[in-house]
Amino acid sequence: MQAYNNIASAIFDFLLTPFGHEFIYFDLLFWPVIMGIGALQVYKVASNQAAITRVKTQISMHLLEIRLFRDDLLQVLKSTGLIVLKNFIYVGHNMMPMAVMLLPMVAVMVQLVAHYGYEPSPPGSVEVLQLRLDPAAGVSSRDVSLQTPDGVSLDAPMVRTADGQVFWRLRADRAGDHVLTVDVGEERFEKAWAVGGDHRKIPVKRLRSWEALLYPGEEAIPAHSPVLAIEWKGHTRPLAYLPDGELGILLWTMVLSMAAGIALKDVFGVTL
Amino acid sequence: MRILSARPFWAALFLLSLVGSQAQAYIGPGAGFALGGSMLVLATTFLLAFAIILTWPIRAAIKFFTVGNPYKNASAKRVIVLGFDGMDPGLATKYMREGRLPNFQKLAERGVFRPLDTSVPSMSPVAWSTFATGTDASHHCIYDFLTRDPCTYGPLLSSTDIGSAKKVVNIGRYMIPIGKPSMRLLQKSQHFWKLLGEKHIFSIIQRVPITFPPVPFKNGMLLSGMCVPDLRGSQGTFSFFSTETEEGEAKFIGGEQTVLRRKGNVVRSRVVGPDNSLLKSGGRMTLPFTLTLADDGKSALLEIEGCDAVTLPEGEYTDWVELTFKAGLGINVSGIAKFYLITTDPHINLYMTPIHIDPENPAMPISHPEVYAVYLAKKQGKYATLGLAEDTWSLNNRVTDEKIFHDQAMSICEERERMFLDAVKQTKKGFLTTVFDTTDRVQHMFYRYLDPTHPANEGKDTEQWKDAIAQVYERADALLGKVSYLADDPDTVLMVISDHGFTNFRRGVNINSWLRDNGYLFMKEEGARTSGEYFDGIDWTRTKAFALGLTGIFINREGREKSGIVAEGAEYRELVQELADKLEALIDPETGKGCVRRMVMSQKFFDGPYRFDAPDLLVGWEGGYRHSWECAVGQVTEEAFADNTKSWSGDHCVDPTIVPGVLFCNRGLTEENPRLVDIPATVMRLFGQKIPGYMQGKMVLAEPSQEASVLGMLDPRSLEQSGAAPGALIFPEREEPGAEGEA
Repeated sequence: MQAYNNIASAIFDFLLTPFGHEFIYFDLLFWPVIMGIGALQVYKVASNQAAITRVKTQISMHLLEIRLFRDDLLQVLKSTGLIVLKNFIYVGHNMMPMAVMLLPMVAVMVQLVAHYGYEPSPPGSVEVLQLRLDPAAGVSSRDVSLQTPDGVSLDAPMVRTADGQVFWRLRADRAGDHVLTVDVGEERFEKAWAVGGDHRKIPVKRLRSWEALLYPGEEAIPAHSPVLAIEWKGHTRPLAYLPDGELGILLWTMVLSMAAGIALKDVFGVTL
Repeated sequence: MRILSARPFWAALFLLSLVGSQAQAYIGPGAGFALGGSMLVLATTFLLAFAIILTWPIRAAIKFFTVGNPYKNASAKRVIVLGFDGMDPGLATKYMREGRLPNFQKLAERGVFRPLDTSVPSMSPVAWSTFATGTDASHHCIYDFLTRDPCTYGPLLSSTDIGSAKKVVNIGRYMIPIGKPSMRLLQKSQHFWKLLGEKHIFSIIQRVPITFPPVPFKNGMLLSGMCVPDLRGSQGTFSFFSTETEEGEAKFIGGEQTVLRRKGNVVRSRVVGPDNSLLKSGGRMTLPFTLTLADDGKSALLEIEGCDAVTLPEGEYTDWVELTFKAGLGINVSGIAKFYLITTDPHINLYMTPIHIDPENPAMPISHPEVYAVYLAKKQGKYATLGLAEDTWSLNNRVTDEKIFHDQAMSICEERERMFLDAVKQTKKGFLTTVFDTTDRVQHMFYRYLDPTHPANEGKDTEQWKDAIAQVYERADALLGKVSYLADDPDTVLMVISDHGFTNFRRGVNINSWLRDNGYLFMKEEGARTSGEYFDGIDWTRTKAFALGLTGIFINREGREKSGIVAEGAEYRELVQELADKLEALIDPETGKGCVRRMVMSQKFFDGPYRFDAPDLLVGWEGGYRHSWECAVGQVTEEAFADNTKSWSGDHCVDPTIVPGVLFCNRGLTEENPRLVDIPATVMRLFGQKIPGYMQGKMVLAEPSQEASVLGMLDPRSLEQSGAAPGALIFPEREEPGAEGEA
């Protein structure tokens, strides 16, 4: 998993941001369109195009049936029921291409989020660092401690919750890519904090197991570690007319890749 | 039904289930395509269904307060009129006696079978217009397929006027139309299903001739029939691609002929489509194609630009192939056609049907509402939309043969059978009618097989297809069996009708040549005896009469025709009478017998408001005769009489008494001689509606309070037609009275 993240990050760090992290629009236009085109190709190969065409034709036929036989209530109800049934069949036909597309889409989107979803904390700001312990590991939150580097100071005492979460309020005294150290029992973990400076790839969350694939900015937490996650309630990057940060990037990528797919489906001869 | 391929489906579902909630936000376009589209459809469906269900009580209340219960006085809840164009009572009787039509036999025994008096003249556009309106030709103004333009003497389609858009915007090389092109049905009066619709009686009308462009009406839907043009705007232009030439030119005539040049196993050519009305320079839109012969020579691969590749097995039709012509500015025009690879060796001969309007994406309205045609296409697949869908012209010109024509006709018939049976299931209450053309087309093209001495038999097969007409009647019988099963309830009236019968067409008479010989028609050029098509070379300043179409003769009337010379009043009346007298006495020099049974003088015979538009004389030919091919297109030939040697060897453009249609019904009649014009009036009465004053027919079925007096099988001796057509062996011997029961 870590190897995958390293390779994917190396590739996308090279491919993304050809115009730097300040100019967000190229990547947010280019990559969703490429994703849309890629998705079309995958869809064409992985789906049963004939069956999809057939079921879509049947759905539109039943829709017309509702319109044409609107005075026949039984027919309207029958057609409605058949549309619902055929929608399930349609969704069923989409399962295979959906599964095939899942990983490559996730790979691109997580990189876009990592590069453009967040911005560095401003110097002087106060942020909250959260640590989640694995309840199954049997480690007490009392065994957790934090060492801060120069340029970072504790703004308030550590807070522990009964469900194994630990919170620190930290102040960024000066700019820099700081590394904080968290000790949990005998084990030691590092967590990066980007403060000030230009836009860049921001490591917001450090996670355990497969979830680490979604946040490739830092190394994954080892699988059998008592820690589930160490994360910042970080600064999301404002995105003009979209929701800020991760949500905005996901929404935008989703909508634009779909729009590109729909616009180009006839060019590539794909039935969606 | 194998809804899903189970293993990949469950594997995909399992994989998705492994992915946690956060990842589901990332599934991107795949999920978007499926779920977004699906949700949209569901939302639309529920919105639509909800709106319909919510507004239903309002609509029901409006209906109740405006018309009450529309079926309150009805003696039938459902009326089905199954039309078989050209079904002949003589042939139907013959095949019933041979035991080949058990369902017709059953219907006749349970109800009634009688000849149905046809229209004057007895041809489909006229007769079906009479069926649709309940009036004669002088009221609905359809006298033929063609009429003459009184300003130019050129031909005009009687039924439809298709113009261009009123305004265009010129941008560079393009002319962009503002608004739709004008399209007008020239048929007058009104369709009786419009009246039913106003009374909230539902109707489905499928392919009744002369319903293009479709006229909107309430509470029903209609698919246009005969006279729907092909994508090129013609009544059916086939294409023929061949490497076979005569002196470098196409060997055959008719349709769109293209000479192919073969390079190894590959030929390249173009499908010629409609005119590009977007371009100022005009010109036809074309689609390049490549035909690659298989190594075994038994098939070929057809690759048309913008279409999926199609394999053409030799001797078989393809399915409908969608042809998309690009007009420019992103505007496409869609059509459909079938291909038939006739031969590959030594010559490549490829036939393409006329390009039909694509019902799923119609270039012009062919149904009411417009989505009805789309709905049918989605329900059962692409289907033939051209009015005269069975391509008789390619067979008549011997470009194709009987098998190619027959296969096409049967495949079109199958489409229509599916469409009609589906409509029977959907019409629980109301009126349903359809017209099957196959019976007409097959009789036109195969009638010579009934007559061993037919002039058209020379040099052609006379054995292989001699049962084709009987088989098409059997096919009609099989369909009737299915309909009877679906419509077997006491509240359903089932009628089977035809617009006319059939007879032999052995001899063609060129009335224009006869008019020339008798001093009524003159050529411009001194000494000339013949003219080109559509009166090319006629001296209108001296011509008193001319013939165009299949039965009509026009007088060159002052004040009506542009160069009219015959004055209204006495001169006109005397000329008409003189022509009628002479033609009624016309003798065929080959047989020495008369060939005209009756001349109809339109101004005396008709009383409707459009009689002035009628041909002034209608020729009621004896069986076996018809206007010659050249006469029909306004040509003057050397001889007036000629043998008909075309495959189109049966016809019905004769005296209407010779070719009545059929009426089968599951209820008895009150009239011994029902007429086609009575059918709409009868349907109106069956639904408890008053017969409108303008309709010329009457109720011919028994009202609930009446006893049906006319029941059972017809007496074939009542048929004028039997044996009247020389050579046609419908009844080998004219039966003597009393012989009926023995058969």
